[in-house]
Amino acid sequence: MSDRLILAVPSKGRLMEETAAVLAKAGLVLRKTGDARGYRGEIAGLDGVEVAFISASEIAWSLRTGRAHLGITGEDLIREQMSDAEQRVEFLNKLGFGRADVVVAVPRCWIDVATMADLDEIAASFRREHGRWYRVATKYLNLTRRFFASKGLSDYRIVESLGATEGTPAAGTADLIVDITTTGATLAANGLKVLDDGVILRSEANLVASKAAPWGPAARRARGEIVAALG
Amino acid sequence: MAAETARQFEALEAQAQTLMARFIAAGHEAVAPAIIQPAGVFLDVIGEAVRARTYVFTDPDGDELCLRPDLTVPTCRLYLERHPGANVAAKYCYNGAAFRYQPAGADRAHPREFRQAGIEAFGNREREKAEAATVALILEALRAAGLAEVELRIGDLGLFRALLRSLEMPERWRQHLMHRFWRPEAFHAEVKRLVSDPAAALTGRPGALIAALGTGGRVEAERHVAAYLEREGIELAGVRTLGEITERLRWIAADAKATPLSPATARLIESYVRIRAPAASACARLKEQARDRGPEMAKALETFEERLDVLSELGIDAGRAEFSAEFGRMLGYYTGFVFEAVAPALGPSSPVAGGGRYDGLLKAVGAGADVPSVGAAIHTERLLAAVAGAKP
Repeated sequence: MSDRLILAVPSKGRLMEETAAVLAKAGLVLRKTGDARGYRGEIAGLDGVEVAFISASEIAWSLRTGRAHLGITGEDLIREQMSDAEQRVEFLNKLGFGRADVVVAVPRCWIDVATMADLDEIAASFRREHGRWYRVATKYLNLTRRFFASKGLSDYRIVESLGATEGTPAAGTADLIVDITTTGATLAANGLKVLDDGVILRSEANLVASKAAPWGPAARRARGEIVAALG
Repeated sequence: MAAETARQFEALEAQAQTLMARFIAAGHEAVAPAIIQPAGVFLDVIGEAVRARTYVFTDPDGDELCLRPDLTVPTCRLYLERHPGANVAAKYCYNGAAFRYQPAGADRAHPREFRQAGIEAFGNREREKAEAATVALILEALRAAGLAEVELRIGDLGLFRALLRSLEMPERWRQHLMHRFWRPEAFHAEVKRLVSDPAAALTGRPGALIAALGTGGRVEAERHVAAYLEREGIELAGVRTLGEITERLRWIAADAKATPLSPATARLIESYVRIRAPAASACARLKEQARDRGPEMAKALETFEERLDVLSELGIDAGRAEFSAEFGRMLGYYTGFVFEAVAPALGPSSPVAGGGRYDGLLKAVGAGADVPSVGAAIHTERLLAAVAGAKP
């Protein structure tokens, strides 16, 4: 069995471009092998490394199952897909792109709500007035559940939202949201504000190592070279 | 667990027949609510925490469904389907599978698939009698199934509500404390805030606006808030109304000027929550403490005592049951009396049966108003193991 290191990188879009740029700056030039539209590649000068181009959301899964040794993806996606990320992966290098905060945002007109504690406090009266718990729209089901639990909140309901989450309070399908934001402009444009203690995670792209992958001597050596180059 | 072998399946079946025979003999009609339930009912009623313990899935129509995590909510739905007016007294019993996610490493007393045999009684206005009858029937069924020894634990959320009402404090503080009762840490923090610094809630809010709300009535306050939103260019969006937002701001304004909760009152609340004693002596102690606490507390204690009396009439030595003021926390939908039956072989972390009063649940699943409801369920795999005398 060959002892090659498999590095999973995003297969398309800005994340792929920025990944390639950061690696290139570190002297690691990504090259696709075979068909230009294929999903396999290599790094010039590093023979023991095989590059797998896969969709950003599947990189966490590859790392969890050990199909990839290393991966480049957002910390938000890793933490959303692993409740015990520290047990399953190791965050090696922060890569300085793909920056986004995962935040709790409520309508700006909720001027009585500035903190998570406020949110907890309005739960009972909201339920009384509207006959249900308030709804939180998000694609980050697990991050939301863990963060709300850590703040002692349990009286709410998540509705899964796979796009245009920031529009859901105005549309009436949710009352507040958990979503990513970079500048806050989109939130503001939708009449939303971030709670004072509502930043769940300050995320950026990371080089992440799987603890489940088979780490032979050659894979370890290749990992050392990549980490050193990026360091 | 859940009958992994044919022999266990047969043993569970035989036991279930014994339990159901007792329930039916006591006038409960056997029902079999659906295993697959709309997830929304559970999520809206109990809250998001239930999702973490429930197998929730989406069907091809995009509807969110779940494997029932208990049989009480499905039985409530069945009752409402039969009696949309919720104005008929009815007693049901069931024996069926329930499903709860268990984290890796859970022991065999906490299987993800287990069978509950239970009873529910709707619309009985003789509350203490209905509660005592529920306990008595469950204990009788446990005995019939061969469980020789059982310890009873009881609690009463009505007592805590009455205690809060009897204490000098603004109504909003009572609501805060009641809302947090389920979460000991948050509860404790709230008591501390009310004693030390009720104005702490002011940080991060529009201070000048809140100061202006301190005087005057509700209508005037709403005008102030509307003018503030207009000035700041904030549009009203979502389902929360100007009235709701204003009301909460008025609470904050009132907190900012309120006299803190007296340390003596805080001590009383904290010491109540810590009570853990045989029911008879706990009752005596509470009566001592409640002497000057007014009629509501006296009434709640009277109810408590009456229930103990009815239980004794039914041959249950309820005075020796362990009363815990905290008991009932973590059990979202209960509203009053709660109990658990513990088999010594399994210990208090794996009770063989439990139940209580849940008057608000039917309204939450669609009835027009609260309906007196009380019920309990037996964890049948645990019972089988306890009767066999071994830890499962």
